[in-house]
Amino acid sequence: MTEASLTHDFQYSNARHQAESAISGMWLFLASEVLFFGPLFLAWIYSRHWNQSGFDEGARQTDLMLGTVNTVILLTSSLAYSAGVAFIEAGNRRRLIQCCVIAWLLGAAFLVVKFGIEWRHDFSKGLFPGPEFAIVGPLRDGAQLFFVFYFLGTALHGLHMFVGLILVGWIIVRAREFSPGYYTPVSVVGLYWSFVDMVWIILYPLIYLVGRGP
Amino acid sequence: MSQRLRHLLLGWALLLVLLAIEFGLSLTPLDRLARTLVLIPAVLMAGIVATIFMELGRGPEAPRLFAVAGLLWVAILLGLGSLDPMTRIVYHVQTPNPTSVSHDFPEPGSERPSRR
Repeated sequence: MTEASLTHDFQYSNARHQAESAISGMWLFLASEVLFFGPLFLAWIYSRHWNQSGFDEGARQTDLMLGTVNTVILLTSSLAYSAGVAFIEAGNRRRLIQCCVIAWLLGAAFLVVKFGIEWRHDFSKGLFPGPEFAIVGPLRDGAQLFFVFYFLGTALHGLHMFVGLILVGWIIVRAREFSPGYYTPVSVVGLYWSFVDMVWIILYPLIYLVGRGP
Repeated sequence: MSQRLRHLLLGWALLLVLLAIEFGLSLTPLDRLARTLVLIPAVLMAGIVATIFMELGRGPEAPRLFAVAGLLWVAILLGLGSLDPMTRIVYHVQTPNPTSVSHDFPEPGSERPSRR
């Protein structure tokens, strides 16, 4: 299929122009998302600076193993989706669907580990900030601040993951429409999916690693 | 096609290596400030995702412009936001016994002080 034979909306000069505009628009949205998560990272810097001991005590209560497993799951999910984009570029629709299903399942596994297992453990250990908070003594306030950051950060990231799962599912359902000449929605959803992965790459050390140590 | 897949697999392997490095760094006996060094592999990992998985280097110029703008604004946000806690000097002062602090407010039910 040549570029000239592809359809495009009236405001674009050709199909390629339309595809490039969609991809640029997604990047603009992702730039605004960076500023959405920015204050969360600033809150981490500010809170840890003033409450280092308590903040680090909170970080030591998190489950490093589950956090690391989840990171590997998410990196692999991003790889699977990017491979799907490469396959549809080469005209292999069946492989696109397989890769998207793998990416979707891994994304769902991440949410199950995070909210079904890890959060449940955290709640059962009394780590949700409030009057029943389990850590007592002089480090209590700093540890509570850490867990405010932890629950808010993981909830916001989880919400983005949930939206991502809906989008990847939508790509799987619509897969029949895509071809090497038209796969812009696949690329645009791939950008979002990898961005969510990127946010976790930054959240992971802030939650599990920086405060840990001998 | 196979070259693109190899590229993606290489990127994924690099991500896992960097993940192992930051994991190992977090267990080393560094002081509290130096422990923020584990963020360096994380930033490199984000760069790999942007360039290899999101193909930032390929295609039109506008996505690169938006990516740089996003980074610039978040750097301003974090930089200016951190200036206060990083540069403020806290002087510890001895506070007086709160029971000995007097105030000028009238006790409830007492007569209001007259204004002259």
